[in-house]
Amino acid sequence: MPAGNSDVYNIVQAKFLATEIVKTIHLNVSIVDGPSSNANRVLALVEYNSSHALFVLVSSRCPPVSFSDLSIETVVPIDQHFSCETEPVTEQNYVTLIIKYRQTKYEYNVEIGKESCNFAAELIRAKEVATDNKTNFTWLEKYFGTMNQSNRNSDPTMSDRSDFVIVRNEMAQAQTTNNRESRLKYQLKLRESEFTQIQEFTIFIGTWNVNGQPPSVSLKPWLSYDESPPDVYAIGFQEIDLSKEAFIFNDTPREAEWQKLVMDGLNPNAKYRLVALARLVGMQLAVMINNQHYPYVKNVSFDTVGTGLLGKMGNKGGVAVRLELHNTSLCFVNCHLAAHVDEYERRNQDYKDINARINFKRNPQAIKDHDQIYWLGDLNYRITDLSNTQVKTLLIRNEVNTLLKVDQLNQQRERGNVLLDYTEGDITFQPTYKFDLFTDVYDTSEKARPPAWTDRILWRGKGIHQVQYRSHMEMRISDHKPVSALFKSEISVIDPIRYRKVQEDLLKWMDKYDNEILPQVTVDETEVIFDLVKFREPQSKEIIIANTGLVPADFEFIKKHDEPFYCKEWLRILPYAASINPGEKCEIRFEVNLETDVENLEDILVLHLKGGKDIFITISGKCQKSCFTQSLSSLVRIQVPILNLTEDEWDQVRKNNTPVRYSVPRELWLLVDHLYRHGLKTRDLFESCALHEELIRIRNWLDYGSQDPIPGTPQAVAETLLLFLSYTKEPVIPFELQDICTAAANNFENCRQLILMKLNDIHRTVFIYICMFLQELLKYSKDNSYDAKTLASLFGDILLRDQIRNSKPQASRGKANFVYNFLVNDLSSSLLPR
Amino acid sequence: MANRSGTAQRPNGQTQGKICQFKLVLLGESAVGKSSLVLRFVKGQFHEYQESTIGAAFLTQTICLDDTTVKFEIWDTAGQERYHSLAPMYYRGAQAAIVVYDITNQDTFGRAKTWVKELQRQASPNIVIALAGNKQDLANKRLVEYEEAQTYADENGLLFMETSAKTAMNVNDIFLAIAKKLPKNEQNTGQTGSGQGRRLTEDNPDNKTVMNCCK
Repeated sequence: MPAGNSDVYNIVQAKFLATEIVKTIHLNVSIVDGPSSNANRVLALVEYNSSHALFVLVSSRCPPVSFSDLSIETVVPIDQHFSCETEPVTEQNYVTLIIKYRQTKYEYNVEIGKESCNFAAELIRAKEVATDNKTNFTWLEKYFGTMNQSNRNSDPTMSDRSDFVIVRNEMAQAQTTNNRESRLKYQLKLRESEFTQIQEFTIFIGTWNVNGQPPSVSLKPWLSYDESPPDVYAIGFQEIDLSKEAFIFNDTPREAEWQKLVMDGLNPNAKYRLVALARLVGMQLAVMINNQHYPYVKNVSFDTVGTGLLGKMGNKGGVAVRLELHNTSLCFVNCHLAAHVDEYERRNQDYKDINARINFKRNPQAIKDHDQIYWLGDLNYRITDLSNTQVKTLLIRNEVNTLLKVDQLNQQRERGNVLLDYTEGDITFQPTYKFDLFTDVYDTSEKARPPAWTDRILWRGKGIHQVQYRSHMEMRISDHKPVSALFKSEISVIDPIRYRKVQEDLLKWMDKYDNEILPQVTVDETEVIFDLVKFREPQSKEIIIANTGLVPADFEFIKKHDEPFYCKEWLRILPYAASINPGEKCEIRFEVNLETDVENLEDILVLHLKGGKDIFITISGKCQKSCFTQSLSSLVRIQVPILNLTEDEWDQVRKNNTPVRYSVPRELWLLVDHLYRHGLKTRDLFESCALHEELIRIRNWLDYGSQDPIPGTPQAVAETLLLFLSYTKEPVIPFELQDICTAAANNFENCRQLILMKLNDIHRTVFIYICMFLQELLKYSKDNSYDAKTLASLFGDILLRDQIRNSKPQASRGKANFVYNFLVNDLSSSLLPR
Repeated sequence: MANRSGTAQRPNGQTQGKICQFKLVLLGESAVGKSSLVLRFVKGQFHEYQESTIGAAFLTQTICLDDTTVKFEIWDTAGQERYHSLAPMYYRGAQAAIVVYDITNQDTFGRAKTWVKELQRQASPNIVIALAGNKQDLANKRLVEYEEAQTYADENGLLFMETSAKTAMNVNDIFLAIAKKLPKNEQNTGQTGSGQGRRLTEDNPDNKTVMNCCK
């Protein structure tokens, strides 16, 4: 991660869960064929549980300042269907990154440079890891509806994008808390110097190609060369076993034998413990640590990579161990690169492959991401262009520097082809290859290979100081001489007391920040009191929500735990959810429309701020009784207008404790009687739309009573009649009878039986009363233009009205047919109550 | 012998900053000092005339223990009786509760007992309940004896402390005691069901739509 990008990196990481690690990002990416000036895409390689995916994010600001600037545009899983290529754009300083997934192709332009090279390399590496294990991408599902769907989309459409946005909004809540741990980790890293101190550790690195020779000599002359004991040993061997069995089965008894020699050969002035041992065929790497430091070693991991036959066999390659010592991450790589003088390019390639493919399966996963890296082994680079004799002559003349100039490793490093950014100490020792066995004499065989410095130790990272770099001539069992290097390395050691203080400090600071960015609003009124609320006379009240916090506040009325809706059915809230920007206000209107029999308005609303507090808003108000919304059985028990009753009288009526006074409600009779006398010949009697005030006047006339004539036109009275029948507590044909009524609708006799047997006296009388009135109306159909079918349809929906009020009235043929029977047949004798 | 699996981990508590997250709810009669306790704990402040909470305030605060870090998501509820029916929204799914009473008011102690009973009946069975006798600074006007409350707490397995939001006495301590008593398992790290601002009632998004289209 380039240092300057680390802030942006952290912002991108905030888009994801803490367990979904953003491995690397690329900024300033533009879509091919899009405006190139608009380089507002960010590419992110994200890893979760060793599966990778490429995310394309759109940034509203460049560079993004907060994770809310970023929205996810495209998600591409990295598996065997994934491929990535780059294509240079002629005469431009950018390249096109071509991402393919099955049939889908995405193209992005990125600036040529280290960032793009690294990013492409990481993608390819991720793909390499993906192909050899069955990866699970269920974690991506939350980022798009289903994976197949996304894969099918060759072009991310707007609808797609909005899907993502929805998902992100929901997740943002969990994000803040989930990312706390990674935020803390990041902040701790920034303030590391406050709670750590540098402590120097001696690290002994050794490498020896043992040429398949049996482990038969003490290693003390090599490993215990220095008097004072080092803190850490990392000892690498190559060619411990050249047998076919070792090659094919990757198993060798030599491993344990050599390791025993290593342990026996360690400096006797201290006690050591093995931290990790990694081996691949003939390559072996052991890391030992002085006992006293062992408790401070953690997160140990190793991996091996074969680059030999077929590019993957273990006769060549590398083995690596990583660990954290106190607060510094260390990585040791022992390698055996391709042989033969001319094969330096193959060696370069092996080096690259080891870097790309070593994966420690924990963070950091790659070699390059460690604080300190020690690279050792038989790198196999030779001396170019000089014959055996020339080399030997120069050696005799002690012109080591002349030779080092033509050393392939030095040349390749100078050209930047291998071990870039690594350092090697000055070589003051003789070439370590190739000796006649058991001698200090360079190769006298027919092949007469020129001597070379094949065995090397390099390092990369902060605070590494090499104090020794040497070969050990007295070790003679192999055709190589062992090499060792001694380092004084700066290890960052945590002071637990100061660490705790910084951590507490940071948590306090994060709490403060978290609490400050909580959404905050004030509400000008938490008590909303309505004036006397009357039937079908809507009222509204407003409150104002002001965002007094630092962040946008998303509010929403939420339902209480035991209630089906967030408010009662007589209330409407506009808007019931919205977002308010800091410093802005939002007016919320509460509308009451009384259409049922409610004594008092009483409700507590829960106004919830997403990610923050709740505010309770109490709604209250008194309601005025009305003959509308009452049950027929109550209404037939009163002889006076409903509002002339005392509370006690009404209470008795409601409980059906008073005698039935009328066969049909007084109000129904008044309305029907008026129409009978004034409306029979009115054209389109039920279809005119009266003024609201007119209906209210009639309602008051019915509820209060008056000596004056009914205040309205026949049409208004007709509409009031429909309203009255539509809002009675129970429909004239009760809900539970409606299905059998409509089922019987094609047979008048059956319908008649139903009315007689199932309907109670009050409802039956009202039903017949209305039907008889409609029959009367039909006698004047020439004047009023109504026919039986029309009236049956109109009244069918009302007399057999649906249970859910205000749902779209569905013209029901069954209901109409049922009523139709009673409009065209004689009702006079058989249906009237006995 | 070396670990063969490729990864070898050794325990080392030093820098393993595990953060456990808990939902904590404050309950109690109105004006016993619930908001003041939270304000003292979270911001170190005290207001003599703290506004009455109409709703449920939300704040977070972290406490460092020896081995773990505990993050509290605190819901400070309205104490007025008329909001009683809304309380389950806040204590459902809570891992901890502080039931607060005022040591100068016997009625609030009676109310606290009812809250405890309700929590024992309705809240999650493992909930850690602490009883806080607040306004200890007014001990000269005390009407609830310390021993009486302590006995009640012991009988019901509650943590108990007398606190003063005004003088800060025992405020951090009571939260710390809860943090120590809470089980720290993997479930509470990272994503829990009771994340910040998450509702505990099962919201059916359809409800809103239904309400809207039938109005």
